[in-house]
Amino acid sequence: MSLVFAAETGQVHLTSQTRIVAAILAVFFMLMILDLIRRDRLQERYSVIWLVAGLGMLAGAAFPGLLEVVADLMGVRNTNVALFSLVLLLLLGLALNFSVIMSRQAAEITRLAQERAIEQARRQAVEERNGSGPSGEQALQAEKQSFES
Amino acid sequence: MRILVFIPAWNEEAAVGGVIADVRHSIPGADVLVVDDGSTDATAERAREAGALVASLPFNQGLGAALQTGYLYGLRNGYDVCAHLDADGQHPAEEVARLLAEVKADRADLVIGSRYHAGAVAASGDYKPTFSRRIGTSIFRFFLTLATRQRFTDTTSGMRAANRRVMALFSQHYSPDFAEIESLQLAVRQGLRVEELPVRMLERVGGTSFLTPLRSAFFIFKGLVVLLVGQFRPRHAEAKQ
Repeated sequence: MSLVFAAETGQVHLTSQTRIVAAILAVFFMLMILDLIRRDRLQERYSVIWLVAGLGMLAGAAFPGLLEVVADLMGVRNTNVALFSLVLLLLLGLALNFSVIMSRQAAEITRLAQERAIEQARRQAVEERNGSGPSGEQALQAEKQSFES
Repeated sequence: MRILVFIPAWNEEAAVGGVIADVRHSIPGADVLVVDDGSTDATAERAREAGALVASLPFNQGLGAALQTGYLYGLRNGYDVCAHLDADGQHPAEEVARLLAEVKADRADLVIGSRYHAGAVAASGDYKPTFSRRIGTSIFRFFLTLATRQRFTDTTSGMRAANRRVMALFSQHYSPDFAEIESLQLAVRQGLRVEELPVRMLERVGGTSFLTPLRSAFFIFKGLVVLLVGQFRPRHAEAKQ
């Protein structure tokens, strides 16, 4: 995270101060995730990716050489560019992941609503066949009203 | 033979009662179900008063989800054939009866009532589509014909009749926001017999069309994407029972 402020030459110069700040931020971030889980605001299955991201931040702060290795593997000379690209791709992937989850949940909600609606109509059909129940009475009242008017 | 006629309705309290009465008059043996798509007015009450069964979706889900609810109800409750028509009074029930007759005679699995079929245009000057609707219609007509290699004139018609094979298919797969066109493509690709019948349609009684020019353009764009994706869906997989 503090690598963002590295020199323009592409060489990473991390002071111990920025590394400490980054590490504290990473730890704070992971604690926040754990707290959200503890208070049932975040489900475990959706928290894994964020904890991994927090660990990544922590690793970057502890071992600054790691990013240079990654940049080399990507064939990028400038470690800043490598960092930005990685984070951007990660966020893009996460956003897509959320859209997929959202679509699935929308389909589930629709089916749930349909099941409820069908059950309601089926109950009405049964009640009308038996000639009793609230719906049958309603129908009778409606008939009376239409006769009166 | 058990017949279900269902009517998707969203805030159609003014028109729905008349449509139900029309259906009960023209198709006497059928059970009538109104799928109330999260209406905020008295649509459900009017429908019950008119003697229809009512399936209320707790919130507005869109036409596709409402139609699928009807197909699902037909499938679950053992109806042999079903039909649906719009709740705004554009579709005369005697025309729906003609569609049902085609399915009952087993000449097709799915029958679409077409406003634009040569026979229909000659028969009535009642229905006059707007300019943007005409453009949209011809674009969809072209691409759907290309995709299915079968000629369709009225791709967005909401007047249809179907048998149990179609109910089984549509209750599993029905696009929630692009129902009409994708369902035709899907049915043809699954090897079902889809047929168009010229019908007479009327001007709407209540409500207004949801299509403004900008929304029409978006609608068309979305439709083309849906058709393209649909071409890559598997063919002829057996519809689950």
